[in-house]
Formats: sequence, structure tokens, C-alpha cells
Amino acid sequence: MAGINIGKAPANKAVLPFYGAAAVFFILLAVTLLFHSDLLLGGYFNFRLLSIVHLTVVGWLTMLIFGAGYQLLPVICERDLYSELLAFLSFWLLLTGIVLLGGGFWYTPVLAGRFPLWGLLGGLLIFIASGCFVLNVGWTSRICKSYNIQKTFILTAACWLSATTLAGFLLAWNLRYPYIIHKNHLELLKLHVHMGLAGWFLQLIIGVSAKLIPMFLLGKSNKTYLLRNAYILINAGMLLFLIDGYFFSVTARALLYLLIVIAGIGHWLLYLRDVYKNRIKRPIDVTLQFSGLSFVNLMAALVFLTLLLTGSPLGNGHIAYGILAILGWISALGLGMTFKTLPFIVWNGHYKHLNGKGKIPLPKELYRQWLVNVQWWLFVIALYALLAGVLWGSPWVTKIALIFLTGTSLSYGLNVLIVLKHKTNFIHATSTTAPNK
Amino acid sequence: MQLLQQLQINDPFFEQKKIALISLYDVIDPELFVNIMDLGLVYGISFSKDQKILVTMTLSTPHCPLGEAIQAGVQNRILQDFPDYQVETQIVWDPVWSLDDVSEEGRKLLGMPPKM
Repeated sequence: MAGINIGKAPANKAVLPFYGAAAVFFILLAVTLLFHSDLLLGGYFNFRLLSIVHLTVVGWLTMLIFGAGYQLLPVICERDLYSELLAFLSFWLLLTGIVLLGGGFWYTPVLAGRFPLWGLLGGLLIFIASGCFVLNVGWTSRICKSYNIQKTFILTAACWLSATTLAGFLLAWNLRYPYIIHKNHLELLKLHVHMGLAGWFLQLIIGVSAKLIPMFLLGKSNKTYLLRNAYILINAGMLLFLIDGYFFSVTARALLYLLIVIAGIGHWLLYLRDVYKNRIKRPIDVTLQFSGLSFVNLMAALVFLTLLLTGSPLGNGHIAYGILAILGWISALGLGMTFKTLPFIVWNGHYKHLNGKGKIPLPKELYRQWLVNVQWWLFVIALYALLAGVLWGSPWVTKIALIFLTGTSLSYGLNVLIVLKHKTNFIHATSTTAPNK
Repeated sequence: MQLLQQLQINDPFFEQKKIALISLYDVIDPELFVNIMDLGLVYGISFSKDQKILVTMTLSTPHCPLGEAIQAGVQNRILQDFPDYQVETQIVWDPVWSLDDVSEEGRKLLGMPPKM
């Protein structure tokens, strides 16, 4: 086993633009929501709300995940990234695509409810970007010598992303040319949303967390069968939901499929609990607190979804469910994990070859820890106040919550900017005397 | 301190190895904030008469994104003390690194309980 190639992290230019763009979209969506808070208190099928949702799930979250994914894929596959060029291409396609798609949704009401052709083009570009991601993941993992369930999760998630973006493109097409697909648009929208949530985000998060959380906590678990069970249950539940939902309708049977997916999530959480129990790095910093919060919110989102499927009366429950899933679960994870990945990527670029030559900062010194603490409190207040505001239908509570969310996005964006603008800070060591010279 | 303690006084490179190994206490794992010696990542060091130094080591995670930086740290730090030498690192995965390889000092720095 000696002399194994440990490989190289991808070039920063293939990764950093994703982080920068994601931060900009996070600020943009928070500010837009602040000035259009009434969107959260109405029905969920609203073109402007769809615009903000897509800015969130594509511009903010998928953008961030693409960046982190390209950096982490070599760690998981123990091989170099297949193509940095493809990664770079996917960035521009995703960026252009979300600007056009988000803009398309936003301006549809102005265009008398007719979805613009350029918005459709945006959907197509996002689909092509997801195809680039699938190719890169597929080819990187193809040359991966060892089988591991984390890799399988990520590859499957990438395929679900492509399926989601293709379905999204067809839905957008259906908005412009409604005679093409003879199905209820709202029913199809539910399938599209859950392909994205459980197919793309959930499985990507499981794959990455099953590798990274043991690394960060210096914990371990031999119970990989739990991850295999999670994989089978989640995908089985998803496929049943989609087949039934497409050919028939989203009915009470969806509850059964949800329970299968929840059983899968339970297996994943049991695996993480085992890692946590066997960890040795005792102190949990604020970045990992975000991960803990995200798991709590995931549980809450699943409870909400169950209540919605059983027909329990919840004021604006669909939007509250969306907030818990997209903001409470996935965004919380992103807000913390950014500072577990980005400073290391930038540090590698500045100090990899200077390490050992003199005094250099540590990766954790590249960002402001106090600002992450501020971001934590702003986010916690924003999230739960927003849920309260939406559920009670209170415009004032919603508005105040969105002020806190804007504060969260600005503190996050500032910290990301500080890391991205970092200048090399190196003090050369004076050499000591050695014998035999 | 295991590697240092294992050094034989009759080793022709005893003094050089001692200096090199002590210098590696300056190389920090940037994620764990603990030096690679106390983490037990260094498995051995050899000097040859043609002025070559070979450090045999491992990483806490295969394909660690900071692996290159740690290797560069080892080479750069040793070169400070041995500028006329050629320093190489060899990454091995056998034996696989485990928490049992962490020294008492390392355990303290990581917040782990002492070994029983």
C-alpha cells in the first residue's frame, strides 16, 4: 500500500466561484423576501414566490453544494476530480440559468401570466449544468477503486438532480405551452419538489455527511449497513411516491411512502448517532451547531409533512413546511458547512507550499469566528420567528423575522468575502542549526 | 514521543534523526490543530549517505484535502534544518492510522481521555 497517490484538491477557480455566487444569492433572496414579505402569507403557487424558491434552492443551495461537492468528491472517491473544466462550465450554466429562470418567474405576472421564452432557456441551462455535475461525479467515481456507500449516495443524488431539473424544465415548458402535458400542474409540482428535496438534497447530504461528520468529529462507526438500509428505503419510498403520484395522484397513500422515506432517514440518523457516540473531538463548535439545528429542523419538517398529508388544519402549512425544509434544514447545514470547507480551500491555495517554512495562520483564522456566532443567533431568531409569523399569519412578525434573515445573510456574506479576499500572511522562519552541515 | 524514544544511540544518524523528528513537532494538522508527531502520523524517518531523507507517514483520512499541505509542511520544515538534503515523503496506508496512535499529549490537545 506504500506510495499511494493521495491526489490533489481541484484548483480554486473550479470551486470558489460557487461559494461567492451562493452568498450573493442568499443575500438577494433575503432582501427580496424582506421587501415582498406578503408572498409568504398567501398561497404557495405564486410566480414571484416560485422565483424566490428557485433563487434559494438553485442559486443559493445547489450553487453551494456544487462548490463543496467538487472539493469533496476527490476525498470520497480518493481520486482527483475528473474535469475542472466541466466544473467551471457548470458554474456559468447554473449562474446564467438561475438568473434567467428566476427572472422568468418574477416577470411572468407582468407578462400577463405567460412564462417568457428566456425563462424556459434558463431552465434548460440549469438542466445542462446538472448534466455536467452528473458527468463529473460519474466519471470521478468510475475511476474510484473502492466501493463505498457515500459515493453511491452522491451519484444517485446527482442523477435525481438531473431528473428534477428535467422535470422542472418540462413544467416550465408546460407553463408556456400548457397543451403539451395533460396533467394537473400542481400535482406535477409536488412530484418535482420532492424529487429535489428527497432525491437530490437529502441523498447528497447523507452521502457527504456520512463522510465528513466522522472526519470533523474524529468519530467512527462500523455500522455502514445502516447507510445501505437508508439508501434502499429512501429510494424505494421516492420511486413509489413518484410512480403513484404521476400515474394516479398524490393521495393519502403518499403517507405510506413518506413513512418508508422516514424509516430511511432514521437509519441515517442512527448511523450519525453512532459516529457521535464514538467521537473523540469533544468540543462542538458553532459550525457544527448549525448541523445539529438542521437535523432538528428536518425532523420538524417531516412532522409538518405528515400533518399536511393527514389533512390536519395548519394555517399556511405548506409554506411553513417549505421554510422548515429549505431554510431550517438545508440552509442551516449550508451556513455551518461553508466555514468547515471554504477556509480550508482558500488556505490550501495560499499556504499549501508555505506550510513548515514559517509562521502561517490556521484555516480557522481566515474567517471571523465571532461573526459566525452572530450569524447563528440571527438565523435562529429569523427562522423560528418566520415560522411563527407564517403560521399565525402575522405580517409584522414575518417582517421582523425577515430583517433578522437579512442580517444573517449579510453576516454570512461578509464572512465569505473576508475568506475569499484573504491575502497571504507569512513570516519566514529563521533556520536552526543542524549537525553534519 | 514514541518514535524519538525508539531511536538507537548507535544509529549512525542518531543526532540528525533526533533533530528532524523534533522539528516535525512544528508541523500542524490544519484541521485538528495538533502537530503530526503527537497525532502519530509519522511512522519513520531514514537518512542515507547520499544526503537523502525519507519520511514515512500516513494521513488521518485517505485523500485528505490537506494531505498535500501536510506533506509540504514536513518537507519544508526538515529542509530548514537540513538545507543540503533532499527530503521525500512516502504516504502509506498500512498500518492504518487509528486513535491509538495519538500520544498522551495529543490526546490532551484533542480533548480525549488519557489511555488506560
